[in-house]
Amino acid sequence: MSRKLDLSRRAMLGGTAAVAGGLAFGDLAHAQTKSGQLTVGVAAALMTLDPADANDTLSQSAARLMLEGLLTFDKNMQVVPLLAEKYEANAQATEFTFHLRQGIKFQDGTPFDAEAVKINFERIANPANHLKRLSLLAMLDHVDVVDQYTARCVLKFPFGAFIPTVAHPSLQLLSPAALKKWGKQIGRHPVGTGPFVFESWQPDTLKVKKNPDYWQKGMPHLETVTLRSDPEDGARIALLRSGEAQLITPIPPQQAVVIEHDPKLALINDPSIVVRYIAMNVMKKPFNDPRVRQALNHAVDKQLFAKVVYNGFADPLLSAEPPHITFYEQQQAYDYNPEKAKQLLAAAGYAKGFDSVMWGFNNTVAITAMQFLQQQFAMVGVKLKVEPLEGGVMASRIWNVKKPDESHLEMYYGGWSSSTGDADWALRPLFATASFPPSLYNVGYYSSKAVDAALKSGLETADPAKRGAAYATAQKQIWDDAAWVFLGVERILDARDKNLEDAYRLPDGGLMIDAAKYA
Amino acid sequence: MSETTASNRALADTALRSPLGEFWRRFRTKRVAIGAGIVLVLIVLTSVLAPWTAPYNPTTPDYQAILAGPSWAHWFGTDAYGRDILSRVIWGGRISLWVGFVSVALGGVAGVVLGLISGYAGGWVDSVIMRFSDVLLAFPGILLAIGIVAVLGPGVTNVIYAVAVFSVPVFARLVRGSTLALKQSVYVQASRSIGVRGMALVLRHIFPGTLPGVIVYMSLRVGTAILTAAALSFIGLGAQPPSPEWGAMLADGRSYLGVDDQLTLFPGLAIFVTVLALNLLGDGLRDALDQRLR
Amino acid sequence: MIAFLARRALGILPVLVCVSLFSFGFVRMLPGDPARLLAGPDATLQEVRAVRISLGLNKPLWRQYLTYIRQTLAGKLGTSARTGQPVAKVIGERFMPTFWLTVAAMAWSTVIGVALGVLAGVRRGRWQDQTSMVLAVSGISFPAFWLGLLLIDLFSVRLHWLPTGGEEGWRSFILPSFTLGVAVAAVMARFTRSAFVEVAGEDYVRTARMKGVPERRVIWKHTFRNALIPVITMAGLQFGFLLGGSIVIETVFAWPGLGRLLVDSVNYRDYPVIQAEILLFSLEFVLINLLVDVLYAVVNPEIRLQ
Repeated sequence: MSRKLDLSRRAMLGGTAAVAGGLAFGDLAHAQTKSGQLTVGVAAALMTLDPADANDTLSQSAARLMLEGLLTFDKNMQVVPLLAEKYEANAQATEFTFHLRQGIKFQDGTPFDAEAVKINFERIANPANHLKRLSLLAMLDHVDVVDQYTARCVLKFPFGAFIPTVAHPSLQLLSPAALKKWGKQIGRHPVGTGPFVFESWQPDTLKVKKNPDYWQKGMPHLETVTLRSDPEDGARIALLRSGEAQLITPIPPQQAVVIEHDPKLALINDPSIVVRYIAMNVMKKPFNDPRVRQALNHAVDKQLFAKVVYNGFADPLLSAEPPHITFYEQQQAYDYNPEKAKQLLAAAGYAKGFDSVMWGFNNTVAITAMQFLQQQFAMVGVKLKVEPLEGGVMASRIWNVKKPDESHLEMYYGGWSSSTGDADWALRPLFATASFPPSLYNVGYYSSKAVDAALKSGLETADPAKRGAAYATAQKQIWDDAAWVFLGVERILDARDKNLEDAYRLPDGGLMIDAAKYA
Repeated sequence: MSETTASNRALADTALRSPLGEFWRRFRTKRVAIGAGIVLVLIVLTSVLAPWTAPYNPTTPDYQAILAGPSWAHWFGTDAYGRDILSRVIWGGRISLWVGFVSVALGGVAGVVLGLISGYAGGWVDSVIMRFSDVLLAFPGILLAIGIVAVLGPGVTNVIYAVAVFSVPVFARLVRGSTLALKQSVYVQASRSIGVRGMALVLRHIFPGTLPGVIVYMSLRVGTAILTAAALSFIGLGAQPPSPEWGAMLADGRSYLGVDDQLTLFPGLAIFVTVLALNLLGDGLRDALDQRLR
Repeated sequence: MIAFLARRALGILPVLVCVSLFSFGFVRMLPGDPARLLAGPDATLQEVRAVRISLGLNKPLWRQYLTYIRQTLAGKLGTSARTGQPVAKVIGERFMPTFWLTVAAMAWSTVIGVALGVLAGVRRGRWQDQTSMVLAVSGISFPAFWLGLLLIDLFSVRLHWLPTGGEEGWRSFILPSFTLGVAVAAVMARFTRSAFVEVAGEDYVRTARMKGVPERRVIWKHTFRNALIPVITMAGLQFGFLLGGSIVIETVFAWPGLGRLLVDSVNYRDYPVIQAEILLFSLEFVLINLLVDVLYAVVNPEIRLQ
């Protein structure tokens, strides 16, 4: 950094200050890519580097630079082995055995073995530790150390979604020695088996450097990685365009054009698992009538929704879960048909339409979306009042509600991303009767015996065929009931320096830069 | 609005000693201020008469004309919904100007009263009021804004309250400062010596003396209030959609910066020109109102 | 003088106690459950409860207040709910970037602002007056975030002269301190001019002038010194405002200061950090006001310290 300063200062003092200053800065940005340094501009602030205590994708992604789990996801959200070589489950989905890769050491020299798995998993499962990711392993009874490289997880009850859960970034493993040494401060001193070693974490800036002893030979390609928080979208794009960063995440859909027009930059445009929907309070009139909910599904032009709100960077949502979640079943689309919507409304006794209120978060995209929906619904006579709410206010108004009849919610413009990539977590928290707030997030109080039964049976086995059948039933029922207005699936939208390769985000939003390199 | 009230009072005061025309005689030499005044009147008129001056409905979308640049049909271009930006700027003027004037009027009146009491009474009253204003000043504005918006709900009216609260301690401190100075001045001492006391002294002799400062600061604050409302929109606490409040338009348009610049350029210029005009007019008024000059 | 200082210093204590109570109550009046927000967007009720217990929010209010006071007096200020770091450390890390940015912005803007104001005041009604006022007023008429983004677009993206943001080296100070200072310079210029013109109309200045005191001496000795009082007040107020950290500018320029910390803390209802920030701002303000009052007395001994 000091070298950069000196050079540019000299350049500024030179006769052709303007041109020389520009060149100096640009050249150095280029030099950074040559020497294997990567700076990533991210939107949020890092909270902790203890993934078991992190519930935000950014903190988990940052931890992923230094830590690894038994399993992980590939680019299509398929579970693949990492620190475990293979695994098997019993038929009741109550015992899962992992065979570990041998000869791996944590960055502090502690050997990686079954004991380390036991210490890590039981730390999360122990309620006394109050970790934020406790629920991921709430079903875990204990871990047996079968031998040095074999660990068996014994569950309290059948949980068919255990394998994708183990691939969750929050279950990445920390060195037992470091856990012992740092205790609650482990989030500031992460030690894992991963490709990079922790260097420093100043406010807004995390620095890691190459792990020379990394077990995957020849990896990683980069020397250092820096994560910089830059909350303002426009400023983050400037960060990339000025050459200070080589990757920024995310970018607003409206700015894709800027990236596409810059020959030095490239757009990263991948599918995500973030679904966008309107939840309606089905305990209240007029949403208790399925015809009204179907009418609203017919009243929204989803292609126009994708175009106006996401500048085209969104896919249609054709089920209650998105395509990159396990056991996805595409349904028959509700076509855009305002006439049909009006007929359905009339049949339900609302020939003149009705007034309603829609709540949503107060970020630009959500506000844009709600304005758009307001206009679409107006065409079928539904007058919408849009109320963007601050996060805390929203939380107390819809999630902390004790009983269904205490909820004032009418319509909610929301989003969901199943962090395990599994159908269970994509559907159960949002549609099960047991998931009414405050337990989980069924804010519209949708309740269906058929769906409840299907969701339950999906968890009672680890057999993919049986689980698939159960979730197909659930998706069909939810779709036909029009529990939501199904709007779209977001796309992952990032931007990179054209020379940077193999840096991407998973559909769940997790950042993968362990294999990144410059061309 | 607050400005006219203030100037009316001062005018009345002037009228006691000299013809009303004296103010105008002095004001009309201020060419910059008059120019600013004309611009401001035009802006206010255009906004107030929005139903007649705006070529389109500000909230009706036209999906055939999304994000179009300036043209004969749409002088300022269109936004992401194909809404006419010129019409939105015109209608938005109503909201932005309303927020600016009303919030400063509310905050200014409260602040002036507190400042006069504090400066004149002195002693523990002064201490209490000034400590109170310290607490208010020190209290982070965004927290107050969030508190107000969270408790009262979002909307332009609550933005007005939030912005008004920002102004109270500033006026209080300012007026207290001039009151302290005026108490030492020759004419107040003289009035005191002939037995003028209490309310009469404050209202007749001290209050008019604080006015020039108050007016200057009000003219600044109306502009500041419009800018504060814009900043609140920037952090997501401002006017609600589809309201075309200028700050909200500017904040919404920022993700189009460098691509569709008409979204930020025109509301930005509207804010800039209005605030500039307000300030320059305020300057001229101040010079013309001050009795001790020439 | 010393008695005055002692009295004022004692007066600070009740203010701080009031602020501590006020801020404690205020953060808890904000709608939004910190446990829910911290547990994350897909937390189970069990996780939310675990977070609530670890934050101590399940205890009665009076015990929470006592804990807060005890930790504050011990200088630790508690633990950040969001990051688990000691609050004193969190605030410490963020204070210096804000402080230096404030100093940088105040330094240039006060000098330029006062200079413009004096120029305008002395040449009142002439073109220098009009030019400098239009210039100054332009500075305060820009929405700060728009100006910041425009500057980044020009100087970082197009010209590659300056970094877009972050606090790294002196060059990173230029754009944010300019954006921050433009408004301050405008306020200072306008205020200086006003004060100048007002004082110039005072009897003693007119008397001095009539007595044939040289113009230069009238300006500096009689006018400038007295005009300084409101100018100092305003500079103090501005300094205090800026020390709180500008949310807009710190966001636009990715500046790791107190303003952004406040936004993040409010978003997660991080009670200990919000309380500590409010307390810090209050302390800064009270101290600055004290300083301003002392300066009043130094500049104009006629205002007695009561």
